[in-house]
Amino acid sequence: MRALLAASEGGGFEAPGPLDFWQPLVGGDSQFALTRAMVVAVISVVLISGWLLLVTRRLSVVPGRAQFWTEGVYGLVRNGLARDIIGSKDFLQFVPLLFTLFILILVNNLFGIIPPILFPTMSRFGFPLALALVVFTTYHVVGMRRMGVGGYFRHMVPAGLPGWVVPLIFFLELVTYFVTRPVTLALRLFGNMFAGHILLALCVVGGQYLVFDAGSPGLKVAGVATYAGGFVMTLFEGFVQFLQAYVFTLLSALYLAGSVAATVEH
Amino acid sequence: MDDDAHGSAGPAGDAAAWTVLAYLLTGPLLYGGLGWLADRWLNTNPVFSMIGIVGGMALALYLVWFRYGAPERRPPSASTDASDNTE
Repeated sequence: MRALLAASEGGGFEAPGPLDFWQPLVGGDSQFALTRAMVVAVISVVLISGWLLLVTRRLSVVPGRAQFWTEGVYGLVRNGLARDIIGSKDFLQFVPLLFTLFILILVNNLFGIIPPILFPTMSRFGFPLALALVVFTTYHVVGMRRMGVGGYFRHMVPAGLPGWVVPLIFFLELVTYFVTRPVTLALRLFGNMFAGHILLALCVVGGQYLVFDAGSPGLKVAGVATYAGGFVMTLFEGFVQFLQAYVFTLLSALYLAGSVAATVEH
Repeated sequence: MDDDAHGSAGPAGDAAAWTVLAYLLTGPLLYGGLGWLADRWLNTNPVFSMIGIVGGMALALYLVWFRYGAPERRPPSASTDASDNTE
């Protein structure tokens, strides 16, 4: 529609924007529409589940290539993140959550550059927010179970503060723990995936416009350079996608470690 | 400065850094927001918004200093996040 509009007005370049991420497939433009991001998320879950079931059904002492890679990823999360950060006493109960988070985010991120999907699920804010809420529900439940609900809220305010400032600090801590930290955890992943994808889209759409529609030879050369830039950015984006999956899992592990460590002191 | 009391060691230092950022964002936004509501209620725009933003920032800085900045003042239970977990 927008392209048609632009064409009828005599051309002009339409840069990709936030609206391009809203892609309802079934159910029209309503808030209950089935969107492309949802379908991609379901595909990722089916693929991951299928892969893990297939690989772990026939485990052998001398691993084959598939088992070797799967164990490598599992080992990275289990030993490199969970055990090192949470500590060998408490880490095992969190490994399923952290492994699920890492592999789910990684696959969904990589879908951003893998044809024919080419859509990073986490560029729709609801997905990273839901994952962050799972992490923080676990975080609060672990803390409350160990300290009791009253003790949990009491421990938020550091001991030794002057009395008059305690209610102000408590309110600040409450909002930081329950709102700011989950939202910033989700925003970091969302922002990286959203910005990365929009950059790649700009390289491709812009390159296409410069090569085919712009006219002058100089702009055609610039278009080829834009395509080349898009290729380099795709490689870089792959790195960012892995890194963000790792960072989200790392920070989740750090927060969970906090909820366990805080309870040890009391 | 490489002891964990200053939160600069390894991933736990990263956690402390993110927590500090969360405090510094929350303070002015939360108390600035409350001030804005008070301004709307009392028609005093922008007196309480300003007080809220500055006061919230001061409170957040004070909390960060209290938790992470003054090791000799820090009581054993002062820190509740992963910065305790590096030993």
